[in-house]
Amino acid sequence: MGALGSTTGVLASPSASPRVLTPPRRRSTARTRREARVGYTLVAPAIAFVGVFILYPLGFGAFISFTNYPLVGPYHYNGAANYRALVHNSTFIHSIVFTLEYTAIVTVPILVVGYLLAVFTRSNRRWTTLFRTCFFLPFIVGISTLSFLIEVELQPGFGTINVLLSKLHIVGVNTPWTANTGLALTAICVMVIWFASGFTMMILMAGMQSIPEHLYESASVDGATWWERERMITIPLLRRSIALSLVISVIGSLLAFNQFFIITDGGPGSSTQSVVMQIYETFNTSFNVGSSSAMSVVLVAVVGFITFMQFRFLRGEDA
Amino acid sequence: MYLVGGAMIAAIFVVPLVWEILRSFEAPAAIVSPPSLKNFSHLSVSNYTKLLNGDNILRNVINSLIVAVATAAVTAFVATLAGYGFGRFKFRGSGAIFGLVLLGFMVPFQAVVVPLFLELKVFHLLNSLPGLALFYTAFNLPFGTYLMRNTFRQLPDELLDSAMVDGASVVTTLTRVLRPLIVPGVATTVLYAFLFSWTEFLGALTFTTNDSIYTLPVALVNVESTDTYGQIDYGVLVAGAVIAMVPCIIIYVALQRYYVRGLVSGAVKG
Repeated sequence: MGALGSTTGVLASPSASPRVLTPPRRRSTARTRREARVGYTLVAPAIAFVGVFILYPLGFGAFISFTNYPLVGPYHYNGAANYRALVHNSTFIHSIVFTLEYTAIVTVPILVVGYLLAVFTRSNRRWTTLFRTCFFLPFIVGISTLSFLIEVELQPGFGTINVLLSKLHIVGVNTPWTANTGLALTAICVMVIWFASGFTMMILMAGMQSIPEHLYESASVDGATWWERERMITIPLLRRSIALSLVISVIGSLLAFNQFFIITDGGPGSSTQSVVMQIYETFNTSFNVGSSSAMSVVLVAVVGFITFMQFRFLRGEDA
Repeated sequence: MYLVGGAMIAAIFVVPLVWEILRSFEAPAAIVSPPSLKNFSHLSVSNYTKLLNGDNILRNVINSLIVAVATAAVTAFVATLAGYGFGRFKFRGSGAIFGLVLLGFMVPFQAVVVPLFLELKVFHLLNSLPGLALFYTAFNLPFGTYLMRNTFRQLPDELLDSAMVDGASVVTTLTRVLRPLIVPGVATTVLYAFLFSWTEFLGALTFTTNDSIYTLPVALVNVESTDTYGQIDYGVLVAGAVIAMVPCIIIYVALQRYYVRGLVSGAVKG
């Protein structure tokens, strides 16, 4: 907050300086310097926030991943010991495998459902705006809130999902969803697909609306079917949007935490523990700062790599 | 045809949410019996009264509100200044510094929670609402700054030039001349920051250990896991989740064109 206060002080000062009457095109050195000073001042608070709360912790985390950092007391450098230990940490390895498995299950359905929803709402017909809003609501509500509600509705005996599915003779009314790894993963995946496909829809729809209408018209004249038009026109022109939505959804899945913590608490056992949950537990329950930092570094590296590749891919398309 | 099909698909997304709102008004005994229409013959607000009085979750709702509003306000303020600076002022290294801010995009907050915990501890910002708001603000700033920079870039040059010729100061130009034109950008930033921080979970769970500081979702974890009789009060849980859900829906429906605007600008420009 101190940074913000000092900024307003500096910001007010240019108003006290004499009026500058030189035409805007010709810039004196004094003007340029003044402009630079004001520019630096304006961006300083944002830099401070990002530096203090994002970049510094990033570097600090990388540093402590090479130490035996305790919560209190002295610490010392212990090389790559934390990383070597991760290779033999079967719970961590399992959390990686589980997270990848979860990501592999939900990614394609989110894309396909999101794509179909986008196709359904891309035209500007009556009601489309309302439909779009409806499809997007679960995403707006947020995964933590939805997880609490789903947890209640999965309860044996009285949970709505259980009761409805038993009426359809799919499962018994007393199915203990969270006590069985496969059932828990199934329930969470269905919820996440329902939750996230509206977001994919929004991204794809923005891309679809920039495709010129006459392309479709001439394809129709040529007698192309719906699927032919999608395959020959929409999908090729939508590559960027599809790539973007895939990257966002894959990163979101790799970082999953709320749904597993709230619905299964990682159980039964630690069979549904995601990587982020593993980091949280290693820090919060075992107080192993060094080890959890090493896990975080691995996570940053993977997510950073995917984001970087996405930027490269998208930039490559522009060129 | 389109209307019928659309309504059926929309129902898949909306009916579960509406159903939960109805469920939250069931009597506590009805919640834990199989759902049937009979359960709705006696609607009651007892889940809410219990939630707000007995479990004292009103305090946690207010905490969430304070953190979300503070995050939205500070993010919008700082992002507007930075967007103005990056979008309209020439200074050495501006591209590199902007790249540094965008680097924040690539850092998932989930991966710096541990070092951030240690840092906040040093600053005495654990178990503190300002601490949470500062953390949320930082992670909303890369997108906010990016959005506001684009907003300022799109303003007509003549407007800024004439303001400068008239001798308007930087602050006056911003608050008098440009304000009406940057409102959509600011609204988008506010909306994203609010929705992010209102029910953010992992950070709030890690950085708070005190009942009176918990935000709403963290308080609901306590409802979920502990109870005097070893029983989970499902009615209270549903009512709490509905309280978390309804503001998001209202704000989104009211301001959705700003939300979509942000999504498009982020999606198209990558």
